[in-house]
Amino acid sequence: MYISIQDLCFSYPDTNRAAVDHFSLTIGKGEVVSILGKSGSGKSTILRLLAGLEKPSKGSLCIQENVVFDDKVFLAPEKRGIGMVFQDYALFPHMTVQDNIKFGLSHLKKEEKKKRIQEVLELVELEDYGNRYPHQLSGGQQQRVAIARAIAPNPHLILLDEPFSNLDAELQVKIRKELRDILKKANITSIFVTHDENDAFALADWIIKLKDGRIDAMGRPCDLLGASRPSEIRQQEPELVGV
Amino acid sequence: MLRVKRNKGFLVEELGCWTVQRKLSNVNAWTVSAVIIMALLFLPNLTIVSGIFSPSNDNWAHMKEFVLGSFIKTSLILIGATGFLTIAIGLSLAWLIAQYQFPLRNFLKWALVLPLSIPPFIGAYTYHGIFNYTGVIQTTLRDGFGKDLNPAYFDIMNIPGAVFIYTLFLYPYVYSITRIFLSQQSASLIESARMLGKGPVNIFFQVVIPISRVAIIGGSSLVVLEVLNDYGVVKYYGIQTFTTGIFQSWFGLGDIETSIKLAASLMGFVIFILMAEKLLRGRRQYNYSTTKVRPLPLIRLKGWKAFMATGYGLLILSLGFLIPVVQLIDWTILTFGTIPTEEFLIYVKNSVTVAGISATVIIIFALIVGNFSRLVHGKAAKLLPKLTILGYSIPGAVIAVAVVTAFIGLDGFLAPLYRLLGVDHTLVLSVSLAMLISAYIIRFFAIGYNSIESGYDKIGTDFRDASRLLGVGLTKTFFRIDVPMLKGAIVSGFILVFIDVLKEIPLTLILRPFNFDTLSTKAFQYASDEKIMEASQASLVIVGISALAIVVFYKFLEKEPE
Repeated sequence: MYISIQDLCFSYPDTNRAAVDHFSLTIGKGEVVSILGKSGSGKSTILRLLAGLEKPSKGSLCIQENVVFDDKVFLAPEKRGIGMVFQDYALFPHMTVQDNIKFGLSHLKKEEKKKRIQEVLELVELEDYGNRYPHQLSGGQQQRVAIARAIAPNPHLILLDEPFSNLDAELQVKIRKELRDILKKANITSIFVTHDENDAFALADWIIKLKDGRIDAMGRPCDLLGASRPSEIRQQEPELVGV
Repeated sequence: MLRVKRNKGFLVEELGCWTVQRKLSNVNAWTVSAVIIMALLFLPNLTIVSGIFSPSNDNWAHMKEFVLGSFIKTSLILIGATGFLTIAIGLSLAWLIAQYQFPLRNFLKWALVLPLSIPPFIGAYTYHGIFNYTGVIQTTLRDGFGKDLNPAYFDIMNIPGAVFIYTLFLYPYVYSITRIFLSQQSASLIESARMLGKGPVNIFFQVVIPISRVAIIGGSSLVVLEVLNDYGVVKYYGIQTFTTGIFQSWFGLGDIETSIKLAASLMGFVIFILMAEKLLRGRRQYNYSTTKVRPLPLIRLKGWKAFMATGYGLLILSLGFLIPVVQLIDWTILTFGTIPTEEFLIYVKNSVTVAGISATVIIIFALIVGNFSRLVHGKAAKLLPKLTILGYSIPGAVIAVAVVTAFIGLDGFLAPLYRLLGVDHTLVLSVSLAMLISAYIIRFFAIGYNSIESGYDKIGTDFRDASRLLGVGLTKTFFRIDVPMLKGAIVSGFILVFIDVLKEIPLTLILRPFNFDTLSTKAFQYASDEKIMEASQASLVIVGISALAIVVFYKFLEKEPE
């Protein structure tokens, strides 16, 4: 398996309740997995644990047989080769779009950097926006820059935290499709968390429903569709059946 | 292909063991540096606490029996009267500016903060100079109107005079905090009161005062701390308080133990005041807050009401800033050239050097401690920095005693090293500039830290996390992401610390090395020697730099989106 998460446990300091409770899953290369849950269900915490921004109390993560963390090993976030797109994108406001993308490419030579920046900007269709500052971009453009920045260093895994929560409803529908295309084109394994079933059904190859830090249900979108998908969504987007 | 394992059970014991391990893993260079800095800032104050338990001597027994009661009484009168008057003036001005539109309102809005640029001791000697027998008031009455009134009528060198001085130069603390609060938080409540048929007077007493309680208490407790910290005004006006007592027993009687005991008593008094403030603040049940901040729509005043509002604002501004500054300019013109330029430039250089070094070190320390506080989870990481910033509520004279005691101890500890290096004195660090700068850092760390901490709060942790996930380590992230994004907080923190050090008196007087003078010590010395006019030049430079910094700072704050 490309990514293997085993028995992940975590609780925040000074609390007794487990935020993540014995969470395990394996993912194949290039697959898009959605973690779906209400707020407080522990979905964002799982992303932070995988990213190395929090330290789990138990569990392990292996990427291509390489241990990222377990009982003995704990790689710092900067050494994991995992990319992340934050809910508010976290684009560095004092850097241009190009500089934001270049930030994670310090291991490349100057020419290679230039080439890679161009590639990812083309991938997200923002070739002409390299010299702009984040505040000069729309919400959708900012999100695409955040994705470009995260995928530029060729991470093994990309994590997306509520990627559509800052967008208006109309833009959400458009960007959902774009994002799936970008992720598939780049063949990057991804996990994204959302509280919106529409996002999960539209984007994911696999869905995991989370409740109180534990897995409540899982399967392909089409498997979960009949059981839990609201009828109005089915009516709006019938083409998704059978993804 | 996706495979999910579902596990039952949850081992609490196992989790507990891992929590410890997780905490230990947070120990890195940032944590170590932050803990060392916090210890350095906090530990000297423990010498004061330990002083309480040391055996008493005759001086202390005498002080306790005859003087301590009067120190407490005088301090209570000073803080009570100043507190009441600064609230009356600060709140009324804040309400006028937040609620009404009248001529010169926009100018007065920021100009009313300017009295803060005049250190109270400079205000004290300037007003004494204005009111005394040769001052402008009595001279004008004698020469212009032939009235030779009893000079006792104009004597302000007493407790009411000190209250007058503190009120004029410290009310901006209440004014600025309350004005920001009122203009941001009160719109709906005041409009509701208006819809319920209440007039301006009823709204002021029944709505404005209760909802502003937290801001008023916050501002007035800063005033109280400043009054308790003050040495210049009470010394110049001959009023006996804790701080003058500490100086007297130290320099007059050469009795550092009694100074420590007095400092400990003052610290106890301050803790009592802070606890009372906390109690008064309660659970903030009067604090009306909403995420939708709506500015209060201004009511236009016309006719005599507009005239009165402008007149009141200008009167306070004149008393607190314009009159003393005009008087200082006049004296400066009269005495220009009496202090050799080279000598004066040395005072400027000394002041700028100690203020610059202190502000720089404080900002560096604040950046490290602030970063530690947000990197490390847990109550301890949040609580420790709070303990460190207590320094601001500890009066300068107390910190001076603590720092001297700690540095003398340090010199004793390092004595073998000094001998090894061929130094033939026993006191090295405790007679150096390092001691003064250390004391400034302890005293004013809170000011720099608050600024940096609010900067960290504003940028959050996502940028840092994003940087780390892009392969950049903690320290590099700090320099490439955090520092550029904290630029505003760094600049404002630096300015605030710089002007506070520039104005500082008790610490500088006690801890400066031999023959080392700053603008404020020189101004204080001239004034104490009744060379009021000569004191004006140094004072004017302090006021000029502080006023400029305050204007820049407030204009800068106004432009901030928050």
